[in-house]
Amino acid sequence: MADAKDILGLPKVVGSGSEKRRSTKDGQKKPDGVSREVYALTGGLPPIMPALDPSNLKKKKPVDSVKKVAWKWNQFTSSARSDSLQLRHWVRVVDNVEPIGDYAFAKYNKAVDVVRYTDEEYSKYLTDTTWNKEETDQLFDLCEQFDLRFIIIADRMPTTRTVEELKERYYSAAKAVLLSRAGLPEDVADHTLMKDIYNVQYETERKKALGILLSQSRQQEREDAEVLAEAKRIQEVRLSAKIAEEAELPSNKSAAETTVNNEMVDKSPRTPLRPTSPAQAAHAGPSTVAAAPAAPVPSVTAVGTSPAISGPRPPRVYLRSAYHAQMVQSSATQAGVRTSKRVDQLLEDYGCRAKVKNPTKTVCEEHIELRKELLTLIQLQKQLTWKENEVSVLRENPYADIPTPSTPKRSHRGNDHERVLTRATAVGADTDSFSGERVNKREHKRKAPARFSEAPASPPHQKRARKMKASDS
Amino acid sequence: MYGGDEVSAIVLDLGSHSCKAGYAGEDAPKAVLPSLVGTMDPMYLPQEPEQPAKMGVDGDNNNAVDPKTGKPVEAAAKKSTRKLYTGVQAMGYRRDHMEVVPALKDGLINDWEVVESIWDHTLRERLMIDPKEHPMLLAEPSFNTPQHREKIVELMFEKYQIPALFLAKNAVLTSFASGRATSLVVDCGGGSTTVAAVHDGYVLQKAIVRSPIGGEFLTDCMLKALEGRGIAIRPRYSFKRKEVRPGEFELTNVDFPNTTESYRRYIQRAIAADVKESVCRVPDGLFEESSYANIPTTPYELPDGQTIEVGADRFKIPDLMFNPALVQTIPGMEKFTTEAGASVKGLPQMVIESINKCDVDIRRELFSSILLAGGTAAMQQMKERLEKDLIEEAPQAARVKVLASGNAIERRFSVWIGGSILASLGSFQQMWLSKSEFEEHGASYVHRKCP
Repeated sequence: MADAKDILGLPKVVGSGSEKRRSTKDGQKKPDGVSREVYALTGGLPPIMPALDPSNLKKKKPVDSVKKVAWKWNQFTSSARSDSLQLRHWVRVVDNVEPIGDYAFAKYNKAVDVVRYTDEEYSKYLTDTTWNKEETDQLFDLCEQFDLRFIIIADRMPTTRTVEELKERYYSAAKAVLLSRAGLPEDVADHTLMKDIYNVQYETERKKALGILLSQSRQQEREDAEVLAEAKRIQEVRLSAKIAEEAELPSNKSAAETTVNNEMVDKSPRTPLRPTSPAQAAHAGPSTVAAAPAAPVPSVTAVGTSPAISGPRPPRVYLRSAYHAQMVQSSATQAGVRTSKRVDQLLEDYGCRAKVKNPTKTVCEEHIELRKELLTLIQLQKQLTWKENEVSVLRENPYADIPTPSTPKRSHRGNDHERVLTRATAVGADTDSFSGERVNKREHKRKAPARFSEAPASPPHQKRARKMKASDS
Repeated sequence: MYGGDEVSAIVLDLGSHSCKAGYAGEDAPKAVLPSLVGTMDPMYLPQEPEQPAKMGVDGDNNNAVDPKTGKPVEAAAKKSTRKLYTGVQAMGYRRDHMEVVPALKDGLINDWEVVESIWDHTLRERLMIDPKEHPMLLAEPSFNTPQHREKIVELMFEKYQIPALFLAKNAVLTSFASGRATSLVVDCGGGSTTVAAVHDGYVLQKAIVRSPIGGEFLTDCMLKALEGRGIAIRPRYSFKRKEVRPGEFELTNVDFPNTTESYRRYIQRAIAADVKESVCRVPDGLFEESSYANIPTTPYELPDGQTIEVGADRFKIPDLMFNPALVQTIPGMEKFTTEAGASVKGLPQMVIESINKCDVDIRRELFSSILLAGGTAAMQQMKERLEKDLIEEAPQAARVKVLASGNAIERRFSVWIGGSILASLGSFQQMWLSKSEFEEHGASYVHRKCP
């Protein structure tokens, strides 16, 4: 407030008392139309920016209209009622003109079109073994009264019938009546009763399942969860025991054991709600069994059902095709990409397929054998060409130092001149640089069969590093 | 109101404990009076001119004022005539030989005379209306029998000449009061507790579960428990307190040997009910004597100046609703279960039973909208305890949610409030059962119109 005074150039006053006196002095209704106290609330000073024109506040607001509005306690009738009951309510009357028209809420009186039948129609179309006419009549009456709310209809029916039975009877009867009344079936084809068919079986099953789901108390569910956890633990213990045995190839026996395991797990918990594991066991069982007979089964089926294979250990339940592919891949990574491609190429050349068509046990084993042999062949070929190269090099230069598999490992820097040497010799020996490359690569590849475990995955731009590795091993 | 239309309907809810009445469209009933009357056998009626008729309303003939001297003769002629005293004022005044008679028994109307007298008093003296001008919405128990309904309809149309009537079930009205068409209503009333499922605005009658444990039963237990501790509750009429010095009171006993036992019990119950309402709390878990033995007590001052300390009983009494077997431990109430016959269930078990009797499709919805209503439900921590117990018992697939309005008044009068909402809706006006329809089709038409 002192700042405001400064800005406005008013003299500063010390003490609140004098301020009050000041405000009362010059607060003589400074603005018109605003009372003194209200004005004092704002600080007793004219605002910096005038917000309201106070003269407007004195003016009376113009009346909305020149209409005369009154409220009358009037009688009314509603078209939704069948009798002439007259109730009274307050009505806004404008200029003595009473509102006309039906009761405003009568439009909410909606009803469902329930199909009604005559007696002849009943005897002709609707006779049923489990339902007599009386009951059907009652049912249709209740349907009309309760607007097809079947749960309430089932509650009010004097006889105990399930909701599904009632629905079934109503829908079938209504459909029959409609069909009988229609000239052509196409006329009623658009009717909802025709389009949507009520499936009693499905509904009963669904309700049963839902009932089971909802009827378990929390305690029971907790007990079930405990039992499941136990079973899972037991299964894991057994699995680790099996892995400790280290069976390389999967045996049907283990698969059978696991299905037995799953069945045992099923029996222990009381709940029937374990569709996952029996289904899984059942699904995986036939898949391993189906793989055995030599039937032309496409191998590229759902891979999802086979559980994760950890390394070369055989899984308990698996798809042979997937496992086989993994074996092939593991051997390919050991050999190197190019060698595996060569193997594939050779297979195609010889008329076999690189990918196995029928992954039966014998076929897979044979295929892997074949691959191994092809790999050996390629490596031998490489060794042969390398040796020939060596011979030719040595013929020209008897003192050339050719790296052999027995050369001890050397560090990167230490190998520099040697590498240069070998490179030069290689270059010198072979006019074709391209073939030289190939020699080096063959060199490198030659080392592969000796060491299956290591996969020299070297980046392509570091040829030196690659060569170094070749010389090292 | 947006969907509302005031036709000045009256909403009347006659319960086991109290009768509530008022105008539709309002948010609380104007008249609340106990559903009891005092009856006096004609031979005890004084021979001299009686007090003005506004102290009591005669059961049968309305002309109580004029033939005063001829009254005993009339009374002798109509031997069954007893004088009924209705209303809080009339009941509060102690009279010799006045018996207290309840209007309802087991939740259903038992004594039609008494009911008529209550209605008369409510409409003419409390609300001061002429029934001929107002349509009436009556709340009835969810398990009401067709005979009772027809009798009510006849009584209303013939005696009171109302223009239109509707009978709505308690559970439906409570459901509407909270704005739901589908819910499970747990009505903890005075006389009994009823669990009823409402689906789409209709009660599922096959899923109603009842228990005789209600507010009045809890009050009786409280009374017995206090008596067991040696605390005698003196009825208000039996003593006089005089302020001898400022702050100090002197108590003199006044003796009324002719007071009936039922009246004495009635007054004592009123005091015990007040104790129960002020002091009791629902415990968080099952009540055990040992764990609550050392609980700090709460003081309560009785009308005669005595201050009592209420300790473990504070929690024991409300826990009776959840664990009825506790009643055995209250001295004087052991014979209760044998009277009831079949074992009485606790509240969570009743809820689960009721839901399991319903169709599977709506069970989830019912679990997630459980409504608490009734005076006894206004006890503290009732909602939390019920929710906790239900979550324990209910299946995991269902989400349990117990709803109760925070306001104690709303919980007590939720049935009446639902009726007030319903009767003031515009789209309800087509559903009244009118006098002409009654005359045309008879009383049994009510089953069609008021399902």
